[in-house]
Amino acid sequence: MTILQALERHYHRLAERGEISSPGWSREKFGFCVVLSRDGEPVAMEDLRDLLGKKPVNREFTVPASFKRSGKRPPPFFLWDKTSYSLGVGAEGKGWKETPFQHGLFKEYHLNRLSREEDPGLLALVRFLQTWEPSAFRESCLKEIVPDANIMFRLDGDREYLHERAAARRLVEAGNDNETDQDQQVGWCLITGEQAPIEKLHPAIKGVAANNPPPGGGHSLVSFNLDAFTSLCKTQGANAPTSKGAAFRYGTTLNHLLTRGGPNRLPHPIGDATVVFWAEAGDDQADALFANWLGGDTADDDASETRKLREQMQAVASGKRISDVLPQIDPDTRFHVLGLSPNAARLSVRFWLSDTIDAFAHRLARHHEDLRIEPTPLNWGAAPSVNCLLVNTTALQRDFKNIPPLLAGEVMRAVLGGTRYPLSLLSAALIRLRAGDSPATGWHAAVIRAVLVRLKRRHSEFPEEGETPMSLKRDHDNVGYQLGRLFAVYELAQRAALGRVNATIRDKYFGAASATPASVFPLIVRGGQNHLAKVRKEKPGWASLIERELEEIHSHIEPAAPRSLPRSLSLQDQGEFAIGYYHQRAASLSNGKNENIDPKELEDLQGEGDEK
Amino acid sequence: MKVERVSYDVMTPSAARGILEAIHWKPAIRWHVDRIHVLRPICFQSLRRNEVGAKASEANARSAMKRGTTEGLGILVDENRQQRAALVLVDVAYVIEAHFSMTDKAGPEDTPAKHISMFNRRAQQGQCFHRPCLGTREFAAEFELLGPDDPLPVYDPPLTERDRDFGWMLHDIDFARGNESRFFRAQMMDGVIEVPPSMRRRWCSDHSASAGTPLSSPGRAR
Repeated sequence: MTILQALERHYHRLAERGEISSPGWSREKFGFCVVLSRDGEPVAMEDLRDLLGKKPVNREFTVPASFKRSGKRPPPFFLWDKTSYSLGVGAEGKGWKETPFQHGLFKEYHLNRLSREEDPGLLALVRFLQTWEPSAFRESCLKEIVPDANIMFRLDGDREYLHERAAARRLVEAGNDNETDQDQQVGWCLITGEQAPIEKLHPAIKGVAANNPPPGGGHSLVSFNLDAFTSLCKTQGANAPTSKGAAFRYGTTLNHLLTRGGPNRLPHPIGDATVVFWAEAGDDQADALFANWLGGDTADDDASETRKLREQMQAVASGKRISDVLPQIDPDTRFHVLGLSPNAARLSVRFWLSDTIDAFAHRLARHHEDLRIEPTPLNWGAAPSVNCLLVNTTALQRDFKNIPPLLAGEVMRAVLGGTRYPLSLLSAALIRLRAGDSPATGWHAAVIRAVLVRLKRRHSEFPEEGETPMSLKRDHDNVGYQLGRLFAVYELAQRAALGRVNATIRDKYFGAASATPASVFPLIVRGGQNHLAKVRKEKPGWASLIERELEEIHSHIEPAAPRSLPRSLSLQDQGEFAIGYYHQRAASLSNGKNENIDPKELEDLQGEGDEK
Repeated sequence: MKVERVSYDVMTPSAARGILEAIHWKPAIRWHVDRIHVLRPICFQSLRRNEVGAKASEANARSAMKRGTTEGLGILVDENRQQRAALVLVDVAYVIEAHFSMTDKAGPEDTPAKHISMFNRRAQQGQCFHRPCLGTREFAAEFELLGPDDPLPVYDPPLTERDRDFGWMLHDIDFARGNESRFFRAQMMDGVIEVPPSMRRRWCSDHSASAGTPLSSPGRAR
């Protein structure tokens, strides 16, 4: 089922629920309403914005549909428009400028279309347009209006807005006869498979996060803005024949899903992709569930919620059907996830997945299962979102803006598709470690383990023998892993000997030790002897514990003779190194009697609890 | 979604026809795809490429031919660059079942037997007029002939979801009628997409339906 078809089908479902605007109408954001007297005098200005927050926020209203404007005489909207059209004043820098041309278009259009109307509200607008002078704006009661905000109208003493009056509704539903019938091209519609008039310009999709939003507000999902994009001498919409009705329906649905803060959209884009999702269900319970499972950008404060979420996931991961965990959800409901990112003035599909809800739930649970590492990384929460993972392991300065966009899309696809994670995720995490991110937080180790585990697995469902362990496994047969452990023990020796120092061996050598062990480990070993000597004097019990651990690790490395230390490690082994380091670092050493080293105490000594 | 390409879930019958035509085609015959077997799980990947934003102009080419020089014909890549994103299928393998019919252009020397043996010989030897591709030229397709009694090739991992409704899918372009696109309801049953024979009537009446020719094309779109 292709994207457009799925969207179009969802329209009918939303329409049944009464949650979406009907043909001829659309949701638009408004700042102000101009109140007109019956004679067309502007008597007051009404602020429609939401003033509760720090900044005033425009609110959405259902109004006669907007469309993409182009050409030398861009047409105005019906009964509303931004100030440059409706009032003849637009923004210029921080000030105002008069825009007689656009206002002329607005005036002409409305005087024409409303010429035979006798409704007092519409008459008031006609009279207003006949008498209004843009130059009078500064002195009028409207001067508080923000330049280029959308303006609607209302008759003084009325509660409903002008476009909500019965007469106006009739006009809107009668349709706009702007387009002549000659423009109509009939063809097969790729969404419905019927013969119908073909849409020339597809609807603008608004709400996709973009660095430079296009001036008209909204990108097109389907567009042909250059010759090279067309084929077989077709123009515009004919290249992807879509009937007018179907185009309206998919556009409206997508815009509805993309509503900011809505239940069908992730609050933050993944990389540069804005993600929407919807279930083919009569209600929105499945949507809410996924928002919960996929979202969670911050570590949840509410401990009980966190625990509930984790329990749900673990139950699903252990093979239960989603309906056993959450009985109100039908597991066979089809679920769609769409990631859109802007590319120039167009929209591109970063990923598109569609499957049953049960399948998605299992993959998500599997994803979190593969990510699990003991001990749990700092500030992990119940189930960190993909965004949260990426920002902690791949982004420079932990800034959401620095997540590599292409990688983010691929990871998202791997999570939802249950496929291998991209290898670039592994290298990105290793690069961050080498550049100085702390390997002690565990986030990198978790991500790296997930990549490695899936990489080796033939079938993504079941764990296999010999895969990278979740918690410390002393006999894990990988030289990278063992070297990582070795490194952690030498660091422990240093800490035991010197306490807190400015530059630990981790700060100095972690990157080099994981990439080229043969050239760095001799240095570390030599330094380690000095540290051990000091520990032996001060805390002989600890020293024996550390030495025993070193011996044990060396017994795993030795067989790689003639040289026990590899000259360089592959990317995957470097990943194992980071994991081995993390495991060993968190392990407490004990000889079963009275001697033991608890890493947590040493942790406090180092004050690393502050690090996130 | 032409600019930012998004692939259909499986290859379209017209893409399959393109592969067959790359191996053997003459004006005397017309290929009809009957069935497409999907052999691998449907798997997507997104990528971005730098492409050129202009087409070679026909008018310029004509005037260049008159002048006898190629001056001014070229398109400079770095002046006309467009970055286009695409969501493409990866790791695909299909078996195409198809037959051909004779067209009005067939002369007395054209017989179905002649063309089928030409096709079989060429496909067996891996010959083609141009390297067939899936989507754009960068994604070259490999093919081999599957005899009537050969078993279906087995791939790992095998296709897991065997029944699926792909919705309306492009069947082909009706070149005779203003290059209009035709669509059909693509449904996969047990890994096989049946192309409805009714679609064929729109092109021409079958003169003689020749033997079906299975063909596998383990193309890798990478």
